[in-house]
Amino acid sequence: MSGIHQFVPVLHGGDAVGRHTLGLRDAIVARGFESRIYVDTVEAGTRALTSPVLAYPAEAHADDVVLYQFATASPMAAWLAARRETLVVNYHNITPPELLAPWDNHLALGQLRAQAELRLLVQRAALAVADSHYNEEHLVAAGFKETAVVPPSAALGPEILAAGRAAAPPASATGGAAAGGARWLSVGRIAPNKAIEDTVAALLVTRSRRDPSATLLVIGKPATTSYADALYRYVASLGLTDAVTFSGHASDATVAAAYARADVLVVTSAHEGYCVPVVEAMTVGLPVVAFRQGALPEVLGEAGVLVDSTDPYTLAATIADVVHDAPLRARLAELAAQRLAELDLATAADRFVSLLCGVRERRG
Amino acid sequence: MSAQPPPPDDAPADVGADVGAGEDHAAAVAALHAAFDRLRPQGSDAWNFLAAFTHLGDRYGPYQPGASDLSRQLQAADHGPSGGPGTWKQRLAQKAGLAGAGPGPAGSVGGAGGQTELEQAMAQVVEAFRFLSARVRTLEERLALEDRPIEGAAWLVPATELGRWVDPVAAHMVGASPGGDVLHADCGEGRLLDALENAGVVACGVEPRGAVALGPLERGRTVELTEVADALAGRPPASLGGLVLSGVVDRLPLHAVVSLLARARVVLVSGAPIVIVAGDPDMSATWAGTVAQDILHPRPLHAETWELLLQRAGFVSVASLDGGGGGEGDARFALSAATPT
Repeated sequence: MSGIHQFVPVLHGGDAVGRHTLGLRDAIVARGFESRIYVDTVEAGTRALTSPVLAYPAEAHADDVVLYQFATASPMAAWLAARRETLVVNYHNITPPELLAPWDNHLALGQLRAQAELRLLVQRAALAVADSHYNEEHLVAAGFKETAVVPPSAALGPEILAAGRAAAPPASATGGAAAGGARWLSVGRIAPNKAIEDTVAALLVTRSRRDPSATLLVIGKPATTSYADALYRYVASLGLTDAVTFSGHASDATVAAAYARADVLVVTSAHEGYCVPVVEAMTVGLPVVAFRQGALPEVLGEAGVLVDSTDPYTLAATIADVVHDAPLRARLAELAAQRLAELDLATAADRFVSLLCGVRERRG
Repeated sequence: MSAQPPPPDDAPADVGADVGAGEDHAAAVAALHAAFDRLRPQGSDAWNFLAAFTHLGDRYGPYQPGASDLSRQLQAADHGPSGGPGTWKQRLAQKAGLAGAGPGPAGSVGGAGGQTELEQAMAQVVEAFRFLSARVRTLEERLALEDRPIEGAAWLVPATELGRWVDPVAAHMVGASPGGDVLHADCGEGRLLDALENAGVVACGVEPRGAVALGPLERGRTVELTEVADALAGRPPASLGGLVLSGVVDRLPLHAVVSLLARARVVLVSGAPIVIVAGDPDMSATWAGTVAQDILHPRPLHAETWELLLQRAGFVSVASLDGGGGGEGDARFALSAATPT
């Protein structure tokens, strides 16, 4: 029996691509198709959910649609390009190598490979689906003829976030941001393209000028030790060791509780192809302050505050306004709800599967 | 919504204004960015030797970090799943339009610019060694400066502001400097910089504590957010008209002090003054906390020792500098010296 199968280099249960892949698998199965997830590297935590990629040839059917989750370099790309099944690419962006090169050239070289692999798939893909219009522009520039945009169904669900809100201490217990001690939050890998140092510099300015008790919680695991080590040293040299907490990778429940406790989500990335944490923040009504970079203006719309300058003074002043201006926070929460309705993430996976079905019918 | 830089009087009254008269945010922003950029491991090289060797491995085989079953199978097969000639990586590179995509027969012409494969390989080897050399040099420079057993050491023995020493030190530098920039480390709030600038001397500061340095930066003073050893390492020889060391000299181990004075001797112009303001070692318990003493093991030096070290570093005219009155509770002494003319 033919099916719609997904290929992903490695399935991490807790990251955005992993959650998206699993969500799509469920939606595909709900439409009555067989659907397996093939991986090149088997991860212990998701072993039961995946099959080794080398098992696929024995299980393949000529009418299969294979969906490649493209977020990094992998020999899967060349391997899939050489097969005959109908291929659809789901593109999650490639971090520009030049942002990684000063920190980890091995990673940068991987991104260069990924760029080459994307071009390799142009002639083979029946459809390429991006998770943002920003990413779709990359696909078009690479040469893909047929493209579409569907946002990922990867954010933490409202029920998880609501549980986090219920578990968090009430604002009165912590004094609230109005009494000083604003709680900034950063969620995502500790990677050079996230430019977390800009958030740290803005925190320094804030603590020096207006709110000596302001803190920053950084949730996410390091993508490269050189950048993470530099960030730790920077925090220490600025005298912010007591003010900045690096929690590393955290469980969904911990992340949800962090959203509930925070006063603002700060995103100073130099490059974002989508930015799932922004969606999660909007879901709980947490204001977002972000640099106007990559897909952030598109994903956030009017539901957050975009900063054009990387000047930490400008960022600090903007965050202070957002933290302390109650009417502004309420307005941003309203706009966030509207933006989430526009994104319609609840049906995203189903819309994606409809696209796959369309490809299947045309090829059939 | 968009945020623009706020006007000076635009901040809510309850949270305080961000921008004050005479403040120079551009300098502070540049200093903060420079302080982080200095932590990059690759120096000014866009690529490092690991990437170069990875590239070599891609083309010639042996280096395969993180190889999976799939990649090993594809690598092992002379013919990939498409049945085409060459390895899958060569086909990938060829299809993707990468130059110099496959090894081919030794000596064949296959790459950009009509180079033979051997020439291309050798070019990569040369590049690899160039990157290796740059990386080693960066590491050597860093190791030479790494006397800090813990990050943020400057916060463990925070430099005391010069206080009563500002006026006598400034007067000495104004009178003794043959011209050129005068550098003060750790400059703290920058009061010596203010005094020197007011006297017409171009002054610059070094302060590793970012939060402390924001003050003088916002007043328009020139301050580097780093350790003085890093700052002097980046300066060309004979480029400073004077040097004042305070604070930092109370937290460095002896071998780092010797290195620092040697470097100072190099970067100061002929006849330039140097002033050391150091804590009294016999009263170190009053100015160095127990944690700092345990972790940093600073060895406070007596004035006589500083005199010896200055002389051994090649300075002349070593003398005690009078700090004037009002020194109760200030267990510090000052020495002045100069480079030979």
